[in-house]
Amino acid sequence: MTTVLLVEDDPGAREGLVLALRRLGYQVRPAATGEAALEGIGQDTVDVVVLDVMLPGLDGFEVCRRLRRGSDVPVIMLTARGDDFDIVGGLEAGADDYVVKPVEPRVLDARIRAVLRRLARAGSPAETHGELVIDRGSLTVALRGREISLTPTELRLLLVLSGSPRQVFSRQQLLDLVWEHDYLGDSRLVDACVQRLRAKIETGTAEPRYIQTVRGFGYRFGPV
Amino acid sequence: MRTRLIIAFIVVALLSALASAWFVNLILPYYPSVAPAWLSGVISGPGGLPHLLYTQAPGLGRAARYPAPATAVAFFLCAAAVLLAAIAAVVYAASRRVLLPVRRLARAAQRMSGGDLSVRVEPSGRDELAQLVTSFNTMASALQDKVGELQWMGARARQFAGDVSHELRTPLTAMTAVADILPGHPGLTGDAAAAARLVRQEIFHLNRLVEDLIEISRFDAGTARLVTEDTDVASAVSGCLRARGWTDVSAEVPAGLIARLDRRRFDIIIANLVGNALRHGGQPVTVTARAEPHGSGEGRLVLEVRDRGPGLPAAAIPHLFDRFFKADTARARSEGSGLGLAIAWENTQLHGGRIQAGNHPDGGAVFTVSLPRNGGPAITGTVPQPVPAAL
Repeated sequence: MTTVLLVEDDPGAREGLVLALRRLGYQVRPAATGEAALEGIGQDTVDVVVLDVMLPGLDGFEVCRRLRRGSDVPVIMLTARGDDFDIVGGLEAGADDYVVKPVEPRVLDARIRAVLRRLARAGSPAETHGELVIDRGSLTVALRGREISLTPTELRLLLVLSGSPRQVFSRQQLLDLVWEHDYLGDSRLVDACVQRLRAKIETGTAEPRYIQTVRGFGYRFGPV
Repeated sequence: MRTRLIIAFIVVALLSALASAWFVNLILPYYPSVAPAWLSGVISGPGGLPHLLYTQAPGLGRAARYPAPATAVAFFLCAAAVLLAAIAAVVYAASRRVLLPVRRLARAAQRMSGGDLSVRVEPSGRDELAQLVTSFNTMASALQDKVGELQWMGARARQFAGDVSHELRTPLTAMTAVADILPGHPGLTGDAAAAARLVRQEIFHLNRLVEDLIEISRFDAGTARLVTEDTDVASAVSGCLRARGWTDVSAEVPAGLIARLDRRRFDIIIANLVGNALRHGGQPVTVTARAEPHGSGEGRLVLEVRDRGPGLPAAAIPHLFDRFFKADTARARSEGSGLGLAIAWENTQLHGGRIQAGNHPDGGAVFTVSLPRNGGPAITGTVPQPVPAAL
């Protein structure tokens, strides 16, 4: 059974989301503060974290950053309608996706399942592209021999792009393939994630080598 | 006004000349001792004047001197000229004293009606004009205070609406999460089950209302932002219809029509217009889009949503995009929040576009949205609320 760590400070919202997630078949570990969440994360296995942005004490972004230091667990941020969610900031902190409160349980369910799918392993052998080695079986990526740590979403984006080298993907397509958002998804998610990925795998030279921008069309992997 | 004054002065001068002439000729000769010596001297003119004016009459004796005809004419013309000049000078000087402040006041009033309520005029002197200027200044201050107060009240009301909506999100989060749990419960039957279903329905209705209120409050606060990208209009329209399950709404959009739009907002414009057409108009509803050349740029995107219902009552058309406006007051409740058309209007404005409602000659209502294809001017926030006409 999939275990969700739910971090939400408002008692009513927390209880409601616990009930909804349990009804959807998830095991839920509720936490009222970021500190409590970070303490609890080490103890049992947690498969996905649903994390409110507005928390007392440590805010959601900080909790996410600290979570990321030791773990690649998928993180979905909960933001409230009308609050301008900082998409770039969220991804920078290491979140994989975000969802707007009030949220219908089926939407939250779809996002959780989508984010878990990014961890699905395929059986193909390791591929080498330039100095990058991508292993779809173990879901590891190494640059010049050193393994780099990617969030599930960054990993999925890299796998999708490198799975069809030189093919151009539009932002809409990437939103669908990586995030499984509907046609109205925010394409800034794609741009922000590409930036994050580039920061990790490109060597900082003028032109990106692996994730290339095709102006007016989208992004493609290579040619390396 | 000056010409009138000059004419008046000339008339007065002529009348006084006439009166003096009559007095000197008809009255004074019979009372030589009444007039003091200096007055007689003034009336008969300076001593040297006859010497200057008179010339020798030809053929008569030494004593016969008279003003020659030319001299007479010259004297008359000179006197008239001097008099006219004096009158003009006096009129100009006097009117300037009056007209300048009046003009200043008129300019100030014009600037005020143009929207600048801070104008004041410097009063000079202590006459009625100065009093008028002071009254004007007092009135302007009072007006400025009143308008400021009204604007502040309006801003507070908008802020409050926004704050309330934000606060409502928290209890709504809890309710939305569990809305489905009660209606699905096997132990709940009959009235209790119906009650549970009603609660779920109303929770979703509340959600839509709060969502719309928050959207509107961002327009009012001026914090609404446009996020544009090149959008394929045909797929945007079909995506919008498909996502809402509106399979019987037909769309006629040429393939390859691209416009730089905020996808989310464009989707809301289409959805709100189509939803409105389906709810208050009548089937069949059609959505058409086309490009229209406009000026030297890329032109405009024109989107039309048409229904075959009874059409819009003429009295309702100017108010359609008002918030919470219900054209048919008998229909007490609709599925929407009452803000759909207002939000469509605001989103169109944000793009730098226009939206109009009218009736199609072949029946039914038609809503026309015209947007710049290249993203238009960077408009952020909303058109400022107009100053109310009546206070």
